[in-house]
Amino acid sequence: MSRPVRIAQLTCGADYSGVQNEIAEAAKAVDAEVFYPDISLNDLRRDFDSFGLNVKSPDLKLVIARAKALVTGKVEADAVFIGSCFRCAEAAIVRTELRRYIHMNSTLPVVSYSFTERTTSGTLLTRMEALTTIARRRALLAREKQTGITMGVDSGSSTTKCVIMKENEIIGTGWEPTIEVLKSSDLVVEAALAEAGLTMNDIEAIGTTGYGRFLIGKHLNADLVQEELTVNSKGAVYLADNQHGPATVIDIGGMDNKAISVMDGIPGTFTMGGICAGASGRFLEMTAKRLGIDITELGPLAMKGMGEEVPMNSYCIVFGTQSLVNALAAGSTPEDVAAAACHSVAEQVFEQQLQEIDIREPVIMVGGTSLIQGLVRAMGELLQTKIIVPHHSQYIGATGAALLASGFVDRKKE
Amino acid sequence: MKEYNPEYVGTETKYIFVDSPTTTPQDLAIAAYEVAMGVMIKETCFGVQVTGTPDEVRRIVERLRKIDPFHIFIKDRGFPPGDERRCRANLGGSRPGYLGHEYEIGLSRFISHGLKETDTMKPEDLKKTAQPFKREPPLDIEELASIIEEEA
Amino acid sequence: MAKVFIYPATSLMLSDLVARYGHKPLGSALSVREHIQAGGFDSPPLQITPEDPKKGLHWAAVEVPSGVRGRMSLYGPLVEEADAAIIIEESDFAFGCMGCARTNELLIFLLKQKGVPVLELSYPKTKEEGVTFVASIRTFLAELGGEKA
Repeated sequence: MSRPVRIAQLTCGADYSGVQNEIAEAAKAVDAEVFYPDISLNDLRRDFDSFGLNVKSPDLKLVIARAKALVTGKVEADAVFIGSCFRCAEAAIVRTELRRYIHMNSTLPVVSYSFTERTTSGTLLTRMEALTTIARRRALLAREKQTGITMGVDSGSSTTKCVIMKENEIIGTGWEPTIEVLKSSDLVVEAALAEAGLTMNDIEAIGTTGYGRFLIGKHLNADLVQEELTVNSKGAVYLADNQHGPATVIDIGGMDNKAISVMDGIPGTFTMGGICAGASGRFLEMTAKRLGIDITELGPLAMKGMGEEVPMNSYCIVFGTQSLVNALAAGSTPEDVAAAACHSVAEQVFEQQLQEIDIREPVIMVGGTSLIQGLVRAMGELLQTKIIVPHHSQYIGATGAALLASGFVDRKKE
Repeated sequence: MKEYNPEYVGTETKYIFVDSPTTTPQDLAIAAYEVAMGVMIKETCFGVQVTGTPDEVRRIVERLRKIDPFHIFIKDRGFPPGDERRCRANLGGSRPGYLGHEYEIGLSRFISHGLKETDTMKPEDLKKTAQPFKREPPLDIEELASIIEEEA
Repeated sequence: MAKVFIYPATSLMLSDLVARYGHKPLGSALSVREHIQAGGFDSPPLQITPEDPKKGLHWAAVEVPSGVRGRMSLYGPLVEEADAAIIIEESDFAFGCMGCARTNELLIFLLKQKGVPVLELSYPKTKEEGVTFVASIRTFLAELGGEKA
């Protein structure tokens, strides 16, 4: 194994929230190490003053000066983790500005996070894994074309997807709700192979992603097992044919949401949220169920409705559903209710997550929820931009995994 | 979560800083070893750290302070010396407290001067020299109004 | 001998002067030492576990960030113990335990609210100020009783 990826830690309050060890453990789990950029008091005074954000907390001053040391190259790092206490306004300003500053002035991948005393290494793991992937696998992530015959499997929290690609074309797909991780995976693999008219022996390389990536990776003896942040970014810019320059990828998933600011297909800054189910695909599923329709019908229905007509004053999945029930009882149309549900999810993602990254056009929406037109429309209205939904967008993770796995086809031939 | 079994329970660690034209950190370390009698002494770039029972540490600290009383500064430390949780080698950079000490040591010459000058002062002279912390009160609103009128 | 809370609680100079003139300085090191020397769950570096911010609820409400509450769990017991306090307010370069301005504001408030004798000072920036600084602290400490000059 190569040397550990060195992640510069720019945090305020981690030790005192009791989560420093969780940060260190999450890094260690992906063969990385966190470290504090070393600076002198004189560096600190000069760099803090020149940055110009005059915060009062000494540890935030230190964080600012350390960020400058990274950007100027005085201290070397492979990636940056910015963290501060949840609910601290002073630190939130610093976090946002530093994230932007590092993103604009260096190629260092950055993830920012606001923690509480409840934050665990498990929560931070995917973020750390993405940071190390970007740092370690830049060459792999640079791949723009799929070659050979490869398979990608995305084991998500709600659904499992499989894609088979041959010479840059998708030739087989499979899609199943995730029930038992391995069984669902077997079903989608079987379906995709059948559609492609191939057998497992024809597959030259396999990539897995999503929550169940480790388990199915082992099961399928995969060449590539990778978190969904980098895989989805890659899949999104590939399918949207936007592999060069900036883009923003939004993936509203069943359990958590990803917002990724991408440059040349490689994530620069990203967030993953999963605190409230009210901002997830799950809420839309519940809405569809309450309206007595299939989830696939929710999008077209929402397109006919006016969300503003329905009072929605809660972001919680329980109380949000209650609002919808009340609205239906009060005579709102199913169209309006569907539109309101879409707007609610979009607004929550917008308010809680998109603030954490720099939105740069084009905005690409992917994942199963991107097929719900009402949700895409609501997001477009909030962001004041036309949103791209590429073909096969529900297979984004599987496609990204199949694309990246083809990097292993050539290696095997050698 | 792993269980934690602390080491050095019941001990105290003190930092002894020296910033003096005549005494070097090395002088301090040599003197400390002379009186150590088995107590743990660790040399550092700024002086020494002493770790032992409170009585042992007190004995050594009192002896060391006498070497150069106006230029030696002592404080408690939470960690035992060389603790890898605090060690620069393991963190990639200095622990945050280091910069705070760097700042205060930069002011030590003024305090050393103060210690020397006040050393032989009698309590009443000390009282006269002492000045309570004062901030300029904000400008009275009526005074401000009159200035504006005058300037107008 | 009085127990004197020092602010910045990490201050080398205040810790030294208080002890030099016969009193007990109460600073972060004492609380950190208590954490480091107590068993329990491993949570390096400071052995502050997620339980400590919860203990901090005694001094700061639940909507206050975890880092403030965690720090208050270090300082709160010391404030309660303190017979007096010496405060250098412009502690812009005291990091770590003193690294959070919001905690520091709360800490000064609690010390003042407690009604114990408080000496407020600035760091000396000249030799003359050094004399005033030491004289002020010596006088303040002498008035607390027990100075061994």
